[in-house]
Formats: sequence, C-alpha cells, structure tokens
Amino acid sequence: MNSELAARAPTNWVSTEMTSRIAKRYAAERRFRLIGLFAVSLSAAFLAFLLYSMLAKGFAGLSLSFLTNSDATEASEVGIWGAFKGSLLTMIVTLGLAFPIGVLSAVYLEEYAPRNRWTDMIEVSINNLAAVPSIIFGLLGLAVFLNFMNLPRSAPLVGGMTLALMTMPVIVISGRNAIKSVPPSIRDAALGVGASRVQVVFHHVLPLALPGILTGTIIGMARALGETAPLLMIGMRAFIATPPTGITAPSSVLPVQIFLWSDEVDRAFIEKTSAAIIVLLVFLLAMNGLAIYLRNRFEQHW
Amino acid sequence: MALPSISAIALNNIGKIMTDNSLKMTARDVSVWYGDKQAINNVSIDIATEHVTAFIGPSGCGKSTFLRTLNRMNDTIASCKVGGKIELDGSDIYDPKMDVVQLRARVGMVFQKPNPFPKSIYENVAYGPRIHGLTKTKAELDALVEKYLTRAGLWNEVKDRLHESGTALSGGQQQRLCIARAIAVSPEVILMDEPCSALDPIATAKIEELIDELRGRYAIVMVTHNMQQAARVSQRTAFFHLGTMVEYGATSEIFQNPRETQTKDYITGRYG
Repeated sequence: MNSELAARAPTNWVSTEMTSRIAKRYAAERRFRLIGLFAVSLSAAFLAFLLYSMLAKGFAGLSLSFLTNSDATEASEVGIWGAFKGSLLTMIVTLGLAFPIGVLSAVYLEEYAPRNRWTDMIEVSINNLAAVPSIIFGLLGLAVFLNFMNLPRSAPLVGGMTLALMTMPVIVISGRNAIKSVPPSIRDAALGVGASRVQVVFHHVLPLALPGILTGTIIGMARALGETAPLLMIGMRAFIATPPTGITAPSSVLPVQIFLWSDEVDRAFIEKTSAAIIVLLVFLLAMNGLAIYLRNRFEQHW
Repeated sequence: MALPSISAIALNNIGKIMTDNSLKMTARDVSVWYGDKQAINNVSIDIATEHVTAFIGPSGCGKSTFLRTLNRMNDTIASCKVGGKIELDGSDIYDPKMDVVQLRARVGMVFQKPNPFPKSIYENVAYGPRIHGLTKTKAELDALVEKYLTRAGLWNEVKDRLHESGTALSGGQQQRLCIARAIAVSPEVILMDEPCSALDPIATAKIEELIDELRGRYAIVMVTHNMQQAARVSQRTAFFHLGTMVEYGATSEIFQNPRETQTKDYITGRYG
C-alpha cells in the first residue's frame, strides 16, 4: 500500500487521484473481458470451420446406401455401417470392462485402502497411466492380447480391451475425485445408524458420486471412440467389406475407416471421408448428450 | 436391567453419583491419541440411563473426541488410538469381538451440522430400520416412520410432504429429522455433538424441549458449547479442559458450587 496515501486519512474518494484509480480498475476488467471473449471465439471458430467444411464436402456423400453399406473398393459403393457397428461393439466392450473395474478401483482406493507408500505408488502409477501415449497401449494390446492370449486379430473384443486399458485410469481418477467430494457428514450419518462400510459406499457414497463418475467415464469413452493409433497396432486397419457379426468377428471402426479413406488416391473418397467424419461427430455428440442427460438425471440437489 | 457388580464397584470410586441399576455406559481411564498427540488423558465417567449428561469445556478440550469414542465413530480416523476401557451394559466396546455395526445401532449419534441424507424425509427415517431389517411389511415401516417422526416432534410439520427431500427442510427441522433417524433404530444411548450450534434460538429451544422429552427413554450424552444449555437440559455435567476431565457431577452442583477453581473460572466466564 502507498504509505503516503494511507497517511492522508481520511481518504478523499472523489479526488481525481482516487477516481482515476477506480477508472483503471474498470479498464482492467474490460481488457480481461475482451481477452476472454477472444479466446472463446477462437476455439468456437475452429469448431465452426470444421463443421462447415465437413458439412459442405460430406453432405452430398450422406445417403441411405452410405449409412447401410460397408467398406468397398469403389468409392461409389462404400458405406459406413460396418465401421459404425464395429465402433459400437468396441465401445460396448470398453465400457463393460473399464467402468466396473475403474469404479471399483476408485472405491477401493478412496474408501478402503490404507494410506501408505504402496497406495501412494499406485496413485502415481494411475496418474501416469492416464498420460501414456495411446500407441503404447496398442503395442501392449498386440503383445498381450494377440501374441500371448491368442485372441482374434482385428476384432472389437481386442480393440475394446485395448481401449479399456486406456480408459480405465481416466475413470479411476474422475471416480476418486467424485467420491472425495461426497461430504464426510453423509458417511458419518450412515455409520451413525449402524450401516456397514459396504452399505455406506453402495447406499450413499456411490449414488452421490455417480454424476461425477459418469462425466469422467463419458470423457474417457469419447476419447476412446476417436482413438486410431492403438487399433492400427492390433490389426483393425484391414479391409473389411462386411459388418461384424459379433465381438470376435473382424471389424473396422470409424476413426480407422476415416484414416484409411483419407489415404485413398481416388478423389471420390474425399466426399466419403467427410461424410464419415460427420457420422463420427454425430456419434460423439450423441454420447455427450447422453452424459449430460444422465448427469442431470442423477444429480442430487442439496 | 441387572448390572454386573464391577460397575457397582466402579460407582463407589466415583462416589455419590447414581443408583446402580441405571448405569448404561462406563469409561475407565480412557486416553485417546491422534498419532503422537494425546487428545484425551485418563478420563473415567459413568453414563446413566435416565439422565442427560452434558460435556462442557473450551474449544479443543477433547469433549467431542471423547464423545466419538463412545460409539467408535473415531474408527474412521486411521491415526486414532484409544486406550482404557469403555463398557456398554458391562461389555467392552473395544473388544475385537464387538460388532461395530450393532454398537452404533445401540449407541446412536446426532451431529453438529444437520446431515440428513439427500433423500426423502420418509427415506431418512426408514433407512436405519430397513438396513437392520426391523420391519417386515411396508405398513409396519410406515407406522415406524410416523411413530419416530412424531416422537421427534416433526410429524405434524412434514406429514403431507414425506416424499420431499429432507434437505429442503429448515435447519431446525433437519436436525429433528436427524434425531428421528437416530431413534428409529431404537438405540439405548444417543450421543449428540453440539446439536444446536448451527441453529437459531427458536430451533434450539425446540431441540432442547425434545431432548427433555426423550430423557428417560434413552441415555443422552450431549456436547455443548453453550453453558446455559447444559444448565437447562442436563442433569449431570462433565467439565473438560485440555484433554482431561476436570470435574463431573450433578449439573446443579457444577454450576452453583463447583469443587475445582478451573471449573468455576470457566463457568463464570473467565476464559473459554
């Protein structure tokens, strides 16, 4: 504080000295608002550009046959259904593995595990795991699921398992944060009427943490849906002309299909690539919409 | 109920406190540590069925810590160690064979800040009976919920909105709901940790009235910061200071004729 100013008490609030100080504060506020607006419009502009260019190029490629056919050698005959179904099956496997394992790990680490060097180490490892590049998970999937366990190549089962490895740490981290944010008073209340620890967790803590866990899960799933690199490693880049019949059948997935088509020499594929991106974006938007719906549905109002 | 003779012997040590067939809980030489820090030092006390027992003392004197040892709520704190012996109806509650779930059903608790579950009013009261399987039919459960909401003095205010959220009630109503929830599992002892400190004077008066009505049916142990409250609602008062129990006796004695100068200084407002 300016001691000279402080010494001149009482402050004359209407003096030019003070009014200009206040004006400066308003100017700082206006500057901040402009910078913020600029940052938001920059990211919004990129999204708008992406949507516009994809719609402009790909809209003509969207037709009933595009939505129901699978990959083909001729650009005029290709369709997205095979890759879409492959992505759907892969996501189901990923969710079915990563969600229960992730949530149970989060519950164990938050509610049961003692705080010691081991759990500290596990915590650090999980945080690191979430940051490991996805190609590494692809190599891990290749080594463990294909070469060691001899699971079928190019299958949604293996793709889903590989992506589950990647998604699980995200679910554990968001799950732990959600569990941590459940007020201790609720645990006390339940323990106080004689609930066991498992009852406290399943009757009170998990229901209250669920919106947070679901948000984290959907973020992880959305990332997994767009993941290409690890799936290339486990053979999901093969040319597959029929939609998969089950989780062990050879299949493609949306992002890999986009990658493959974008590599084609035939210029007619440009339209198909854009159309496939539109389908992928719609899938993503639907998932995010579901996340918002579920979060609002389960949100507790205090 | 009949009590083991050991309690009668213990009584003589404390002296002129209570008739022996009313003794519910006894604590002998109880010490509590948080890691290396000792929070409670050799506290011995008897809790009678027909009394409201108040713990008073300045902040940080250990009265809440001691209260939480009585139903092992401090088990949730990993670094917390308890020494000495606490008995409920003559059985050691820190015995490894003691079932904590059963203990907490018998020794219920009401907390400082009202903490209803973010569920309906009905569910808040029904939760305890349901997990312990106290009722068989929906009708029985309905009757139980009505009985305990009535006993907690809340029924008339909430009977038309049983399925609205418990968290939508006012602070005082929430605290009475928490009391209804605690008594719905028919505990023998109710521990109250500053139950009125988050409430306005009118809500506080209602809770005090309620405690007075519940007296006799349950042994009530209450921690309070408010000395007038201790004087109004309790029959026995224990004064805690720096982790030790300085004085324990009839409330009228403690307030009008304390034996210890420390107690007198606190009660007359020298410190605290």
